[in-house]
Amino acid sequence: MSAAASLKNVSFQYANGDAGALNELNLEIAAGECVLLCGSSGCGKTTVTRLLNGLIPHYYEGRLSGDVTVMNRRISDTAIEDLAGVVGSVFQNPRSQFFCVDTTAEIAFGCENMGLPEAEIRARIDRTVSGMHIHKLLNRSIFNLSGGEKQKIACAGVAAMLPDVIVLDEPTSNLDLDAIAELREILAQWKAQGKTIVLAEHRLGWLKGLCDRILLLENGSISAEFNGETFFSLSTDALNRMGIRAFQSANNYLEWKTGLYPIKPFTEHGSILLKHFTYSYGKHKAIDIERLAIPIGAVTAVVGHNGAGKSTFTKCLCGLQKNFRGSITVNGTICRRKNWTKQSYMVMQDVNHQLFAESVLDEVLLGSDDSETQTALQILEKLGISACKDRHPMSLSGGQKQRTAIASAILAGKKLLVLDEPTSGLDFRSMEDTAELLRSLDSDITVLIVTHDMELIDRCCTHILHLENGTI
Amino acid sequence: MAGLFSADIENRGLILDPRTKLFVMLTLVIFALGGTGSGFAAVRCGTIVISVLPVVLLVTAKQYRKAAFCGGAYALIKAAEILLAPNVNGVLSSLLGMCCMIFVRLMPGLIMGAYTLSATTVSEFIAAMHRMHIPQQITIPMSVMFRFFPTVLEEISAINTAMKMRDIQIGGKHAGKIIEYRLVPLMVCTVNIGSELSAAALTRGLGTKVRRTNICKIGFHVQDVVVLILTAALYGLWLLGICEVIE
Repeated sequence: MSAAASLKNVSFQYANGDAGALNELNLEIAAGECVLLCGSSGCGKTTVTRLLNGLIPHYYEGRLSGDVTVMNRRISDTAIEDLAGVVGSVFQNPRSQFFCVDTTAEIAFGCENMGLPEAEIRARIDRTVSGMHIHKLLNRSIFNLSGGEKQKIACAGVAAMLPDVIVLDEPTSNLDLDAIAELREILAQWKAQGKTIVLAEHRLGWLKGLCDRILLLENGSISAEFNGETFFSLSTDALNRMGIRAFQSANNYLEWKTGLYPIKPFTEHGSILLKHFTYSYGKHKAIDIERLAIPIGAVTAVVGHNGAGKSTFTKCLCGLQKNFRGSITVNGTICRRKNWTKQSYMVMQDVNHQLFAESVLDEVLLGSDDSETQTALQILEKLGISACKDRHPMSLSGGQKQRTAIASAILAGKKLLVLDEPTSGLDFRSMEDTAELLRSLDSDITVLIVTHDMELIDRCCTHILHLENGTI
Repeated sequence: MAGLFSADIENRGLILDPRTKLFVMLTLVIFALGGTGSGFAAVRCGTIVISVLPVVLLVTAKQYRKAAFCGGAYALIKAAEILLAPNVNGVLSSLLGMCCMIFVRLMPGLIMGAYTLSATTVSEFIAAMHRMHIPQQITIPMSVMFRFFPTVLEEISAINTAMKMRDIQIGGKHAGKIIEYRLVPLMVCTVNIGSELSAAALTRGLGTKVRRTNICKIGFHVQDVVVLILTAALYGLWLLGICEVIE
């Protein structure tokens, strides 16, 4: 088979940092092959995808040496726009890869840029849409779609341009298991059509039987290479030693019963009791819980399918959603809503929204007096981020930002900590660190984790709260 | 929140051609904001009619709440200008007069802007600019803005929520730093999103030298003709005034 893409002695160094650099990398990808790049954060797998779609060197700046060729075009001599019909790209963040605000225009966008005649574009949209069975997503507003639906539209937009090579950079980091299964269908179809697929991913289980070749990257070069069969028969231990996530966790809690129940031994000492907890969007009742007792000090995983009301429920619980009804009783005393909001804190999925100050220490001290500096330093020490106490929070890695947010919540004496998808996009090591941290929090802090990550649940959660259709 | 700047294409109501909207906008700037032809009573009345037009358009686009709010505010200020201002004296009179003048002149344009942004899709906008032979160098940055505003609003609301949890709000502990604390994360988030957005658009061929096509159908319909005639009539009145046919 002819080569779809080849990288010869490629080294690359980003202009503004060390992470993701490549070091003398050699790689040949055959036409029609499906290649998976894996490895811990900063190993350079995203960099490889960016080399293939031309974002490096044409968009992200840095020092590049060596030769990159895709479908007989030298990347360094080809303008990135002219690669559009050759290499298609699907990115991680569904919020930032759409140009239009309606779905049909979005699918057409790439073809329009290529200057195809209108009739041809319409025909391509029809073919793509029926191939992917997404008729009901046409003519919708992008802002009303779920993460999985957005990712499907992104795939459709790429597919309509009929590229030979498709690169995907962590396409599943915001998706639940159902949406991942649907994405798998799309990839299988592409593979059957003979397209060359290159993926960079943390979550690997769903790719079993799809990938022909798996490359493990370490510090910017390929440290191991497997074929599909050997790789997907590796044991979880062997994977974890390489810093890779397990393919699947022993339990899929989504298949378990709904309600709140312990999955690990736990001595209860009091509970947060919710009664007649309801919330409605217009006439639609989004949350309707008659009675729910969350054990104090437990680490509870909030699971459920997309749209089950997990986020709405936790937002109500933190007092971030106005107009919900219901009462909260802590150890027998009814809590006034305002006081309850003061005691709760949510670590958002995009932590960037909640870091305000100029240094990590200032950030943690934001809500308190300077006299608490000592305590703050102790907390930073405990969370393992005391080394970066003088750095700007925005310069930290994703995991460290999360820790900074948690540290500020602890110092402010918050009693309820909610984490929204804390491990999306984290590699194995950071996921384990997060799990360890959550396990070791003080016993008077109640933790709720909204997550699809079964591995994280197995590692640190004591209880499961399974919601479906806004109720237990 | 996102609905403020982006078209909800699932429930749009009556659709106007983007060029019609631009023409109305231009007319509002000339007559309502610029006060052109206010020497003629007929033009003054016509200007009031045209100033109410954006509110009517909001209703046709099924944005009832926005229409009620904007319409109410405009009516209130206009009423104050006509009824109240001539009947008070002294400092209050000039203060009230000035406020009324500024708002009465600005508001129609602002309401029309809100309507244009919230009832035009990116592809309609690009198609309209293309028909008017505006070069891509101008069209593309402007269409990016269309996409960017709703995103920035989403970011702002997320940051507001985060600030509430940290008790940084007006009357809270750190009231003095509210703006700084808001701007830093906002800038970081918007820069990130902007750069990812451009990267995604580039990989899909935005900016090639090939002439871009567009599958979006735009054109003038009955509703456009009605609005255009109404608006053009104002220019007619003004011309008649200049030619001293009317007073």
